[in-house]
Amino acid sequence: MYMSNRPPYPGTPRWVKVFVFIVIVVVLLLVAGMLLSGEHGPGRHTPSGDGSGQVPPSFSVTKDHAPPEGDRG
Amino acid sequence: MNMKPRLRKFALAAHITLAVGWIGAVAGYIALDVAAATSQDAQTLRAAYLAMELIAWYVIVPLAFASLLTGLVMSLGTKWGLFRHYWVLISLLLTIIATIVLLVETQTISYFAEIAADPTRSSDDLRALGSTLVHSVGGIVVLLVILVLNVYKPRGMTRYGWRKQQEERRM
Repeated sequence: MYMSNRPPYPGTPRWVKVFVFIVIVVVLLLVAGMLLSGEHGPGRHTPSGDGSGQVPPSFSVTKDHAPPEGDRG
Repeated sequence: MNMKPRLRKFALAAHITLAVGWIGAVAGYIALDVAAATSQDAQTLRAAYLAMELIAWYVIVPLAFASLLTGLVMSLGTKWGLFRHYWVLISLLLTIIATIVLLVETQTISYFAEIAADPTRSSDDLRALGSTLVHSVGGIVVLLVILVLNVYKPRGMTRYGWRKQQEERRM
């Protein structure tokens, strides 16, 4: 009868199993958070939400950047 | 293929420098990210977004790729191998994931910087942008996990590593 003299593989260490479990839980929580909060990625910051990186011009330009009265020659 | 001791020490020094530098750069980035998340001052927001883009593209991204490269050199050039030990394999996977998320996030950072560099943008536009704090804090946690794995090197061989070890013992 053939008997392998190779010792059996001792198996995956416990710390790896715990680590993988924690990673799965964290990933599931992140996915749930993303699904609940709506969009994810650069597009979430655009007012139109189109993700193209193009934002419509602001209408408050004059309020923030108009020179003070005294600077108008 | 195992590296000679002098070359191995040099590669290890380079890898530690680059990997710890990556963590340090992200820590500096988080300081700016907190300012972007909390400040109401338009000038502070503009400065933060512009600096975030510079740090991301010219410090963090190069350090990420250099760490990944020197990590590959260290594992392939030493007895540890790339797929033999769980701590090496997990470190590699986490580094690749962190680098991919970083590259995706740079698109958002560049978008923020583009808005911040536009002088016609109002304070309200800047305040509406928000921050990348979730990703940057998540990123530094992942990098610290990799650091701990690399320092402690917890025991545990993969099935592939176990088989290779048995083959080498028999030879």
